[in-house]
Amino acid sequence: MNMTPERFAQLVETHGSQPARWPAQERQAAEAWQRDNPAAQALCHEYARLEALLDALPAPVLPGLEQRVLQRAASLASDSLLDQAMDWLLPRGDRLLAWIWRPALVACLPLVCGIYMANFFSFGISGPEVAWEEELALLALNDYAEIAE
Amino acid sequence: MTDDEALMQAIVAGDSRAYEAAIRQHLKSISHFAFRMLGNSKDTEDIAQETFLRLWTHAGTWQREKASVSTWLHRIAHNLCIDYLRKDKSALSSEYEDEHAGTDRPADAPEKAEQLQALQQALEALPERQRSAMVLSHYHGFSNKEIATIMDISVDALESILARARRSLKAQLKH
Repeated sequence: MNMTPERFAQLVETHGSQPARWPAQERQAAEAWQRDNPAAQALCHEYARLEALLDALPAPVLPGLEQRVLQRAASLASDSLLDQAMDWLLPRGDRLLAWIWRPALVACLPLVCGIYMANFFSFGISGPEVAWEEELALLALNDYAEIAE
Repeated sequence: MTDDEALMQAIVAGDSRAYEAAIRQHLKSISHFAFRMLGNSKDTEDIAQETFLRLWTHAGTWQREKASVSTWLHRIAHNLCIDYLRKDKSALSSEYEDEHAGTDRPADAPEKAEQLQALQQALEALPERQRSAMVLSHYHGFSNKEIATIMDISVDALESILARARRSLKAQLKH
């Protein structure tokens, strides 16, 4: 590929001033262009200065961060019996199983709650024995009605 | 099996030691990235904690053929930082000067100290995607392809962003 001032500037702006970071297929042409062109050398020098200043910016200091992240990790990873039960109910890792199992569980939850609540609260409805007796009484009334006719 | 695969399989299986090893291996890079994006240690810690929480809860979603663990974690951190910055732009506050107020600097280099301060301000003033691309490229040594994966954009789009970021920083330093 033939090097042009525009392409050389684009290379340096995109990849930085270090030839080692330039794309391999253009590196040779770009290095030759840099050797032969003072303007290209000046451009590289400007970006090299920018990179040196970026390197001189001090690294962030974050005291105690590793310890706090590890502490939280330890609390996440320490499995109680409840955690183990939850792991069994809501499997991690196996994506296919998790994708089928979790919506199925969530879908069943209202049904289970409904059955439990219906069983727990009678909502004024009497038990099946009473209902059966009432039905017998109504049948008996039917019989009397037929006789009366 | 690669080291990344072995590590992630162990984490998926609930191996807490593998999880701690992954934290020790990647925390510095993730926290430095977040600090350079957000500029303060409190939000940096939130981002780091959330990134590693997702490593524990979402390790099963990592795909070897798509990205290395490091690239995957930086992608999580990048997305968290962008979400954070978009939700609360006013929260972007720099502790850089406070953090390094006690740093010894040669007395004969006030000009350089000014340049560094100007550069820090220029870096913070960059649009978030330009800042992210610049930080990942310069400080973390990711290739353009890896950064494109982290930022979920094409390599061409990334190169355009990087070129604009470098031009902008260079222009700021000239003033």
